[in-house]
This record gives sequence, structure tokens and C-alpha cells, in this order.
Amino acid sequence: MLAQVRSWWRALSGRPRLDEEMAAEMDGHIERYAADLESRGIERGEARRLARVEFGSLAAAAEECREAVGLRWPDEFARDVVYAVRVLRGSPAFTTAAVATLALCIGANTAIFSVVDAVLLRPLPYPQPERLAQIAAHVQGKGGSGDQTNLTGRFWEAIRDGATYLDRAVYSESSMGVNFAAGGKADYVRQQRVSANFFHVLGIVPLVGREFSVDEDHPGGPAVTVLSYALWKRAFDGDPAVVGRAVNLRGEPHTIVGVLPANFQSSIPADLWTPLRPSATGEGGGSNYAIVGRLRPDAAWAQADAQIEAVGAPLLREEPLGDGISARLRLMSFQRGITEDLRRPLLMLWAAVGLVLLIGCANIAGLLLARAAGRSRELATRLALGSGRAALVRQLLAESILLGLCGGAAGAVLGWLGVKALKLLALNRLNVWQTVELDWRVLAATACASLLAGILFGLYPALAASRIEIRAALGEAGRGVSGPRNPWPRRLLVASEVALAMVLLVSAGLLIRTFAHLQGLTPGFDARNVITASLSLQDARYATSEHVNRLFQQSLARIRELPGVESAAVVLSLPYERALNTEFRRLDGRHVDTEDQITNLFYLTPDYFQVLRIPLLRGRTFTDVDNANAAKVVIVSEAFVKMYLRDDDALGRHLDFGGGDRSEVIGVVGDIQQKSGWGEQFGPVAPMPAVYIPAAQTGDRSFQMVHTWFAPDWVVRTAGPPEGVIAGMQRAVQAVDPQLPFAGFHSMEEIRYRSLGQERFQATLLAALAALALLLAMVGIYGLIANSVAERTRELGIRLALGATAVQAIRATALPGVALALAGVIAGSLLAGFASQLLRHLIWGVQAGDPLTFGSVGLGLLAVASAASILPALRVAHLNPADTLRQD
Amino acid sequence: MGKQVDILQGTLDMLILKAVSLGPLHGYGILLRIQQISRDALQIPQGSLYPALYRLEHRGWIAAEWGESENKRKAKYYRLTALGRKQLKSERKEWKRLALAIADVLAAEPEEV
Repeated sequence: MLAQVRSWWRALSGRPRLDEEMAAEMDGHIERYAADLESRGIERGEARRLARVEFGSLAAAAEECREAVGLRWPDEFARDVVYAVRVLRGSPAFTTAAVATLALCIGANTAIFSVVDAVLLRPLPYPQPERLAQIAAHVQGKGGSGDQTNLTGRFWEAIRDGATYLDRAVYSESSMGVNFAAGGKADYVRQQRVSANFFHVLGIVPLVGREFSVDEDHPGGPAVTVLSYALWKRAFDGDPAVVGRAVNLRGEPHTIVGVLPANFQSSIPADLWTPLRPSATGEGGGSNYAIVGRLRPDAAWAQADAQIEAVGAPLLREEPLGDGISARLRLMSFQRGITEDLRRPLLMLWAAVGLVLLIGCANIAGLLLARAAGRSRELATRLALGSGRAALVRQLLAESILLGLCGGAAGAVLGWLGVKALKLLALNRLNVWQTVELDWRVLAATACASLLAGILFGLYPALAASRIEIRAALGEAGRGVSGPRNPWPRRLLVASEVALAMVLLVSAGLLIRTFAHLQGLTPGFDARNVITASLSLQDARYATSEHVNRLFQQSLARIRELPGVESAAVVLSLPYERALNTEFRRLDGRHVDTEDQITNLFYLTPDYFQVLRIPLLRGRTFTDVDNANAAKVVIVSEAFVKMYLRDDDALGRHLDFGGGDRSEVIGVVGDIQQKSGWGEQFGPVAPMPAVYIPAAQTGDRSFQMVHTWFAPDWVVRTAGPPEGVIAGMQRAVQAVDPQLPFAGFHSMEEIRYRSLGQERFQATLLAALAALALLLAMVGIYGLIANSVAERTRELGIRLALGATAVQAIRATALPGVALALAGVIAGSLLAGFASQLLRHLIWGVQAGDPLTFGSVGLGLLAVASAASILPALRVAHLNPADTLRQD
Repeated sequence: MGKQVDILQGTLDMLILKAVSLGPLHGYGILLRIQQISRDALQIPQGSLYPALYRLEHRGWIAAEWGESENKRKAKYYRLTALGRKQLKSERKEWKRLALAIADVLAAEPEEV
């Protein structure tokens, strides 16, 4: 076997030499034979002739020799390719159209696949990533199911103590920008908080030093930090003696204990890590912990999963889940756990580009079928000359595969551009943490897709073309009165194109309607001329309510003095952002709670509602009187009243936010839009129930806790364009605390725009793909009708000569296109109905079976398809019957 | 020249292996040797000799090398490889079995059936 492979390879790689040797060997044979014959007394010339005749055909022998060493297949292949190149170069219009179609389709596939691969498919860059698990609460309700990957401290403690089949660690999914200073250099870095053993569980050994020990990872533990490789290089020039040195983090000295390797990536982008210090209260009282586990070498996945379920069962029994809803802890792959929110949109886009490729293939198959009709004489001649049908099919397939590969090569270039464009447009919003690039994996997938596409669109036309009747094809001279052969395969292709285009158009329509719905939601405030900037207060110097409030008051007083400033306030969480959620109970009125309820919570300085012009509906707003010494008061939103104080007098009700304090509701304000973080009933952006508390009445512990996750925003309304006050705001804060730099200035309009980034991205991309699909389908219809006009010229000429009007002839020609489009739209509606069910999770504010979308897409498609059918049919009007009949 | 026999399909390989087992030979030499040993009873169609040689070489049963022939001309010499020797042995055994069986069949008398 090995000898054969070696001999085959030798033959294949040294083909010119092989041919030369073969010729020399056989020539030598003939000469020797001739010499023998001569020595038997035959005249020299005659001897040579005899020797040659007896040997037989040299070419045939050489051919057989080449077959003997396994060169038959490569030989034929080379012949096919050379012929295919000649054929394709002979019809540049067809080749260009097919390659361009494929380049667009495969380019789109390449670009999207590179993202899908980076996020969903490529293994995580940790050793044995398949043994890494995310621990999630799997909630199963009537309407669907979901996995909650953020858990409370009590779950962590139970898992820490009970999950013996796993090495486990806990970490925070949110990163915070923090101020960093070392050796005189100041920097703004991203910090992630992780528990002891986190890096061990991921399988990462620190490059220098060590990771956090269990002793360091408890409340009140020493202030330590681990640096990323990049930060280590930047701040310490890669000094290996960095361990033990101190850096200033949020105004507090931290000791460096380790540095991570260069290629390490955490679950979120981060520059340094500090101990999480998990606990069951405080931060751990809410669902703020993500838990990662690595399967122990001797444990099986099912075993560990069963154990986790048992560990979680007692805790989940205490959760108020509601009727018909069940929950259990389970293991999901870590990769899936950290990419869960991107999964659906990416799979949707992947399916969409796949459909576009299918439509493209159908289009090219249609073109090939039309071409085969024109080539029937060539093919029949080849068959008549003794070529086998299999050889013919192979030859035609070689042409389409060559087309596929050319299209694939062009598509790879377009895909490369597409990846660049995607990165520019949206990847920062898609929160992709593995690098998206056109690597060999993506290129291999592209090559496979092109090859498959070539076979997909080429196989049927090749088989159909090989079934021609030689005599009919050669005799017909290409001018049959009855027109083309069976037109149905091509018609079927065109109808399917329309159906697939309908699926994409409806999906795009639903996402666009979703986006329009979210975009059109009443903001509930006046976003014009408002600038915002946030400051991280996760800082040791701002551990008390007194310090925080002094910062607010002094900085706001300076900002209000700036020219052009109308009003200014500080708030925790802006509109359109994700807000802090908190538990509370209603203490009096019609509803008194024995179980916790959930709402968004904001602290703010008194002027906030005035700055954003959020209307006060009832009661009063906060004043400076509502300070730390006064009775606790809150203002609630209208959505809060609807959800929790229905049929009740909201004013005067008392709420408890866990501290045992009674807070009185003194006012009701209008709703504003918020990014939703909880509640199945809310879309990605929705007017959520909100409770506002005065910053002056917020306690030390509350400030410390919320500032670990959220940074408050300074909100300033100006008379004119707000950009002019940026420098002044910066100076105002610097004057109060020189160590506090604003993290970035954004206008309120910009924040509103950004909040719908993902929805805008999805809708835009799908709309672009749907437009491409529509274009391809219309080109398909146009091509079909144009082709039938060309093929039926004689028939139409006869009809016109016999007295048919031009309008009748045009109608007869165009009608099949419209009928096919109608069939495609009907089939497409059914398919789109199915597709829209899959898109359910991405659709808001519009029904999955939205009649407006389905109707307008269907009618629009029909209208465009009619135009695409009538346009080529109009050529019939210019036909001169006499000419067409005289035509050969 | 005696009466010539057409060579059975498949036996050509065996004859070539046998011929080169006696010493390296070029293509024409193999032809001559088979004719000589069979006293011209076996006539090999010249056109099919080379495909057979390439097939055997491809299978690793014979190996080829360019050398100089008796009259100082370059020629490709074939020799038997170890693999080829084994193959020749097994083919010879097969052939003997076949020949014996056919002889038995042909020698059968009516009453034995």
C-alpha cells in the first residue's frame, strides 16, 4: 500500500520526467527489435517499420502505463479543468454574472461565519475547554425556558461546599473602569473581580507570582491584585520583580501578587483582577455571582450535573417562582455560558446568510440550465463522438466547481472586507471577546462552502444536460418552433428563490418593526442639550454617604456656575441604561407583602427630574429638606404604580428596602425608558418600574455596594449645544478632587442611540441580506423571462403574424413570471411563519405573525416580480414577425 | 517456430516476475527471455508489456533502474524485489493448483462422474 502511494506520488509530481522516460524506454525497445530483425536479414527501413507495427500504438501503450501507475484520475481531472477554463473564458458575461453572485453570497457567509466561529465554535483558549462548565439556574416556564448564569452568594456557598466533582470558582460578570496609579503613572483600567482559584480552574498558570489565595478572598482580606500581561508591560516595562510592589487602585494601595500570561483572556475584557470576596449578604444577597467549574479528572459530566442539581434543590425551593415554573441548577458548557446572549442573534444571521447562498445557488443553477439548452449541439457532438455520459457530467461539474471556487476566492476577499466592516460597525457592541479574524478555519469553511455550492448548483443541470437526445439536438439546428425543452426545473428554482427571499424579507421586516417600535417608545424626558459624564466612586475615599454627598454638592455648585449651564444633577443610572434592581416589600395599603418584590432603584440629587424634564404627576419632588436626618422618602414611577400600587392611593404608602426603614412615597413621576435586566414581560428597552431615593438619604453601605458595579452620572442641561461645557465640568470636578477624572462625556441623545445598538445592528444586517436575496430572486425571474423570449422568438413571431396583439404576446410571455412569484410568495409565507416563530425572542412590540409585515412583503414581492417579468417581455413589442420567421 | 499460445490474462504478470527473477533485464530482454524459455511457444503482445511492467513496479514487486545495455545504450533495467519474490512464489503455487485441477477435470472418465 505504502509502495503504491509512493509510486503514485512520484508519478504525479514528476510527470514530465515520467513521460520522457516512458518514451525513451519504448523507443529503445523498438530500436532493439528493429536491430534484431535487421540481423535476420531484413532491410533496415523495413525492419523499423515492422518493429513499429508490431509494437502497436505508442500513445495507447503510454496511456495504459500512466493508468497503471494511477494517473488516470489526475489526467482526466487536468483535461477537465483545462476545458472548463476554456469554456468559461468563452462566455465572459455568464462567468462574470455567476462569479459576482457567488462572491457576494460567499463573502457574506465568510464574514458572518468568522464571527460565529470566534464566538460560538472556536474552543475557548484554555486547556481542555470541554471540561469547563458554567453553573446556571435553568428555569422552565410555560412560555419557554432560560438559563440564569448570575447567582446569589448562598448558591455559591452551597456549590463551594457540595460540588465535589468540580474544581470551582466564582467571579463577577461586570467589569468596572477604575483609576490606577503606579510609579507616578496614572491610568484608567478595567477591573474584574474573581475568587481564589479562578485562574486555576481555567487552567491558567500566572507568568509571574501566583493568583489569589483563599486567605485573601474573604471580606476584609488584604488588598491584592493580579495584572494582565499588557498592563504589566505598560506600567512596569515587564519587570519580573514586580511581585510585592504596590499600585494605587481607586485611591487605595494594592499589593501585586502575580502577572498573567500574554495570551490570557478572561470572560470579559479586563486589565487587572482583584479578589471577589464572595459572601452571602451584601453584594452576595443579589444575583451577582457567576460560577465556573472544571470537571475533576475522575468525574463524569452527568455525575457532576446530578450533584449540582441536588446541591441547588433546597435553595431553589425557597425561591418564589410562581405557578407552572420549575427551576434546577445545571451545568452548561462554559463557552455557551459566556456567549449565551449572543447565540440567538448570531445563529439567526448565520441562517440568513445560508439562505442567501441557497438563493444564489438556485440562480446560478437556473443560468446553467438555460446555458445547457444553448450548448446542446456541443454536448450532443461530444456524445456522438463517443464521450460517455459520465464523462460529460464530470466535465460539466468541473465547470461549475471551477465557478464555485472562483466565486469562493472572490468571496474570501469580500469576506475579509466584510469582517473589517463588521468590526468597525458593531463588534464593540456585540461584546465579542475572542478576536474575530479571517484565519485558516474560516478560509477552510469558505473553501468547503464554495466547493459544495459548485456541486449544489451544478449537479442537476449537468445531469439534465447529459440526457439529451443526440439526433434531435444535432438535427434541430437550434430553431424548434415549440421552444425550449422542459421549462419546469428552472421555474421551480425561480419559485424557490422567491420563497426564500420572502423568508428573509419577512424576518428583516419583523426586526425592523421591532427596532422602530423600540426607537419610537416615548423617552419620557427631553434629551436635547443634555450632556452626561460618569465618575467611578469605587474608591476608599468615598466610603461614606457624607463624603459622596459633599462631592455631589460641591461639584454641582461649580458646574451650575458655568456659562450656558441651565441645571445639573447626579443620578445613579441614566435612562436607556441598565439600572440597579433591588428587592422591597409593601408595608401598608391594599397590598402588603410577605415576599420580596423587585424594582429598579435610582439615587439622585433633587434637581434630576428638572434637568431631564421628567414630569411630576402627583405629590412633590425632593428638596434639600429631604436629607439624612429627615424622614425617609421616595418617588416612584407610573409603571411602578401600575405594577405594585394598582387601585391604591400611591402617595403616603410605605415601602421597605431591606434595611427595616419605612420609606414614604411622596410623589409619582412619568415613565422613562430603561434597558431591562429582569422580567420576561419587558422588551430590551421598556418603561420599567422605578423607585427614586434622594442621594442624601442613601447610606454608607448602599453607596459602597452599588459603586462596586455602577458609576453615577453627572447630568447637565445647557442652553445651547452642550459640548461647550465639557472642559468646564472637568475643571469643576478637578477643583473638588484632583484625583477624579470623568470617564467620558456622552450627550443624552447619543446614549439613547447607543442603547439600541444591537437591535439596530441586527435589523440593518438582516435588511441588507434580505435586499441581496430580493435582488437575486428578481434577477432569477428576469433571466427566466428574458430567456423564454429569446427561445420563443419564432413562436411569438408566428403568433404576431397570425394577428395576436403585442399586448397579448407580452402578457403570455410575462405571465409565467408573475405566476411563479405568486407561488413563491405563498410557499414563502408558510416558511416565513415558521421562521418568525424561531425569531420570537428577538421580536418586541410586534406579533411574530404580524399581518402588516407579511402582507406588505408579499405584495411588494409580487409587484417587484411583476416588474422583473414584464421588463424583459416588453422586447416582444419590438419583434418584427417577418424578421423572426426569416431568421435561421 | 512452434505453435504459439495466447497468454491468459493475469499470467503475463507471473511470467514477467519469473523472467526478472533470473536476473535484471530491460523490457525487450524480458520479451526475449520469455520467448527463449518457452521455446517461442509464448508470444507476448509487445504493446501490453509496458503497461504490465509499470503496474508491477507500481505495486512494488519489481524495481527499475536506468543502466547501460550490452551495446552501450541507456536502458531501464527491472529486477525482482523481496515483495515480488513472495508474490512469484504464491502465484506459482496458485498456478500449480489450477493446472492440477484442470488436469484432473480433463482426465476424468465417464464412470467417475
